[in-house]
Amino acid sequence: MEELQDASIHHMTARVIAAIKNTKSYEPIYKELQRLVCSPGVDKNDMRNTLENAIKVAGLETEIRNMIYNLVRSRLERLEVGNNKTTSDPLGYLKRAGVLWDRRVRKSLNAMCAELKVPLHGQPRISADREDFVAKWNELSNYSMDLANYRPVYAPKDLLEVLLSLKGPAKTNENTDKIPQWEFSHIALPVKNLFELRTHYADLLRIDHYSAHDLSVQCQRILESRHAPLCQQFLKRGSTPAPYRGALWAAVLDSKLHDYDIEYWQKLRNSVWTTDHIVDKLVFKDIQLTASNDDQYFVFEDVLYQVLLCFSRDTDIANCVEYETFPVKGKTYEGPPSGVVPFHGICMFAAPFCYLYDSPVCLYYTFRAFYIRYCHRLTTINTHPQGIVSLCLLFEKLLQTYEPKLWSHFRELQIQPLRVVFKWLMRGFSGHLPPDQLLVLWDLILGFDSLEILPLFAIIILSFRKESIMQVSSLDSIEAILADLSSIKVLPLVQLALSRD
Amino acid sequence: MRKHGKSNAACGRGGGGDTLLEPPVSTWTQAWRIASLQPTLDQSAYTMYGRLPQARDAGNAALGGGGGNGNGSSSNANAATCANQAHDKLKIGYCTDLDKSVLVNNFEKRGWHQVNGDDDWHFYWAGVQTCRNIFSVDSGYRMHDNQMINHFPNHYELSRKDLLVKNIKRYRKDLERDGNPLAEKTESNNSSGTRYLYLDFVPTTFVLPADYNMFVEEYRKFPLSTWIMKPCGKSQGAGIFLINKLSKLKKWSREAKGPFHPQIAKESYVISRYIDNPLLIGGKKFDLRLYVLVASFRPLKAYLFKQGFCRFCTVKYDTSVTELDNMYVHLTNVSVQKHGGEYNTLHGGKWSVQNLALYLEGTRGKEVTDRLFGAISWLIVHSLRAVAPVMASDRHCFECYGYDIIIDNTLKPWLVEVNASPSLTSTTVNDRILKYKLIDNILSVVLPPDGVPDVRWQKVPSADALGNFELLIDEELAAQDEAQNSNSNSNAHSKTSKLGSRWK
Repeated sequence: MEELQDASIHHMTARVIAAIKNTKSYEPIYKELQRLVCSPGVDKNDMRNTLENAIKVAGLETEIRNMIYNLVRSRLERLEVGNNKTTSDPLGYLKRAGVLWDRRVRKSLNAMCAELKVPLHGQPRISADREDFVAKWNELSNYSMDLANYRPVYAPKDLLEVLLSLKGPAKTNENTDKIPQWEFSHIALPVKNLFELRTHYADLLRIDHYSAHDLSVQCQRILESRHAPLCQQFLKRGSTPAPYRGALWAAVLDSKLHDYDIEYWQKLRNSVWTTDHIVDKLVFKDIQLTASNDDQYFVFEDVLYQVLLCFSRDTDIANCVEYETFPVKGKTYEGPPSGVVPFHGICMFAAPFCYLYDSPVCLYYTFRAFYIRYCHRLTTINTHPQGIVSLCLLFEKLLQTYEPKLWSHFRELQIQPLRVVFKWLMRGFSGHLPPDQLLVLWDLILGFDSLEILPLFAIIILSFRKESIMQVSSLDSIEAILADLSSIKVLPLVQLALSRD
Repeated sequence: MRKHGKSNAACGRGGGGDTLLEPPVSTWTQAWRIASLQPTLDQSAYTMYGRLPQARDAGNAALGGGGGNGNGSSSNANAATCANQAHDKLKIGYCTDLDKSVLVNNFEKRGWHQVNGDDDWHFYWAGVQTCRNIFSVDSGYRMHDNQMINHFPNHYELSRKDLLVKNIKRYRKDLERDGNPLAEKTESNNSSGTRYLYLDFVPTTFVLPADYNMFVEEYRKFPLSTWIMKPCGKSQGAGIFLINKLSKLKKWSREAKGPFHPQIAKESYVISRYIDNPLLIGGKKFDLRLYVLVASFRPLKAYLFKQGFCRFCTVKYDTSVTELDNMYVHLTNVSVQKHGGEYNTLHGGKWSVQNLALYLEGTRGKEVTDRLFGAISWLIVHSLRAVAPVMASDRHCFECYGYDIIIDNTLKPWLVEVNASPSLTSTTVNDRILKYKLIDNILSVVLPPDGVPDVRWQKVPSADALGNFELLIDEELAAQDEAQNSNSNSNAHSKTSKLGSRWK
């Protein structure tokens, strides 16, 4: 048994080391290590102990630990999933749908390019445009262009329609008349029940009475220690002091700025300055349709242009994001450099970060890390336990089990409950909750490293407004009841819901 | 929770997103607000108001304990039923000069009926002119005990730009003469002599033509500064322009046909040092519009509405000379910005003060944010104290002021002006909800718990009646508190008893 364990540890170590060598921080860390080896404190006769000590003293140990923590969380996890592929995949149809959805979105983008006669790869900006663009880089809201012919490639409702039409392999001996066409329950993805959610979110129910001051002090100490797992643990409280949130998120997402990050940001910016790409128009269009009109975010319009334009050029994103792979015949289409086709509302994923960071470059890296780890799963069809399909399924099962009255009310009205909450889920509530509360919700996403809080919170809101919903009978009126979330307080409601019997 | 019945009725009407424009839905949101707060440990950003800057420690015990919420909270549970009984006995007549739905809807919600100004009214939402007429000696009108009106007859002591400055200057001089530590001065960092350490919250201002020579003297000290000219009696940004050369002022005075001879001047102006280093967010300039309710000037009882907002310019801030005449860059007034091509009708350039606080805490830290909001409360209180002695503090009156404040890039707030009739026009859905709440909260603060106007009431609203208002200062409560404090100081367990009594 021990041998097995040893072997597995050895195997893991080998993988971690291989992964470390592929990171951007490998080189600076290696150089630092070389410097330490030559330092007077390291004795060649007792290399192991003295070097280890020097590494600790220089603070390199924490850095390496954080790096491993992040690698294990992201890349290695992904390999794990990838390795489990079997030939007769019961979720094959879902993966197929994922590939098809991605293909459809890219195809629309390609069609738009063809229609407007612009190359998908972009074209160099003519010098006058380039000068204008560079001059207005800090006030892109004043950069004028004709966007009349551009429409968002897709909106939440398009994805919803696809999800609602997902068909699994037909089950035998079941009366299909009885099951409404729109239930998700047939999808064989494992989702948590309330009991399991309670276990997962148990830390939220631990009541400790720290004053705001104590929390700040504690938070400062944790940030000084620079330990990513401690930072993550702190976010689980859901009462993060606003001044430290930016640093905590960056620590958990490993998005603290390095010199090479700043260089890379400048490279992305130059790419935006020199090439004119169709996604630029889509980014402008999206911001104008959403953030610019939003009374919580309009003041950050110009920062958002910068961040999302650079985002569109970032090829690292395409390398980090996992897409469903499944052999599907047919033509494949190319996407934008980042691989992410802008959709209606994509800028709302970035907007809340404006309350955390003043500098676009800091904002960019934390937003990018958050997008890669969480947001992209909300806009692609995938089998990930935190993918949008699983979240929708979780929502439905929770509603059915814990709010049966609401469930049957919706059923009688022939309204898919998902229709009411889908935009919340797909945007992670951004633009729906006021920023102070949204940031608390996203603290919990990061703290518990899970998007499951989204469907849970959607249920909580429905349940909270149940009495009013029960009294109306049209989709419009239900939506009117749920339109204004400005009075919702995240933490007490989640705590209440989790602690209730 | 008494609003719950209504909200259900409202949602019964159904309808799409448009229904948000209907006032019943906003009582809705209010019902939700109340319900949702119940399980909370309310740690919202609002609480930061009311903390006064450190300067407070310099003395002035009268300001102490800004958090007092009156002592009538126990009676509040009965307020609703009391009001209903009262309505049976007395039908309240209201009168309004302004036909604004946020007003009328609030009056009707309380079951009041509309009457004419000549009839027997109990509550008058009047224009300033009507109010002056009612109080003028010639009118011969005598108000009875069950009447209230929404202005003080000489509100212009606060709302006229020249008089405000005059009153503040006099207030500082008086304090200085009495040797009050509040009036302490410090060496100014720009060799122009001294400035007040704690009471330096209005930009240097002169009244033209009267103070012309003083202005020139000051101007010569800072030849590179920009100044802003505003007609004293106008509002909403009308007649305002910027000046960075003395010659421009001279030219203007010639064109205005000699306004430097007071006897023929039609209109006087104030000229103030222009805050040319405003705090920019997203590269744009903004000012704060805060609502302050004064229930009485002597003793001073004032409340700050927690839901103020920032008004943004639509154009990037630019101090270059070429943009000096572009008012879209410099003036934040909605009435000015509305005409700009970039004006957005969905948010109207308005951003909530809560969001400002969240942003500042997140990007600048908590300490500086708290200090800023403390300094804002401080300047409001002292501007009110400056006018309190000259105000006709009639017991029938209350007034809601619109405070315009600019924050500079050192996070210091500057009082720009005070409006005695802040606009009740709603530019957006949220604006409408906010102003509806504002009026609702004003009424519940100034009216006794039974909802019938009565000047004999001591104006000590319960915590619940305050709604979104927060007590800025109540000199009467503060005095009681102090008396109690000095008694209990001899007492060993003074601290607990002092806190306890406040909440009984």
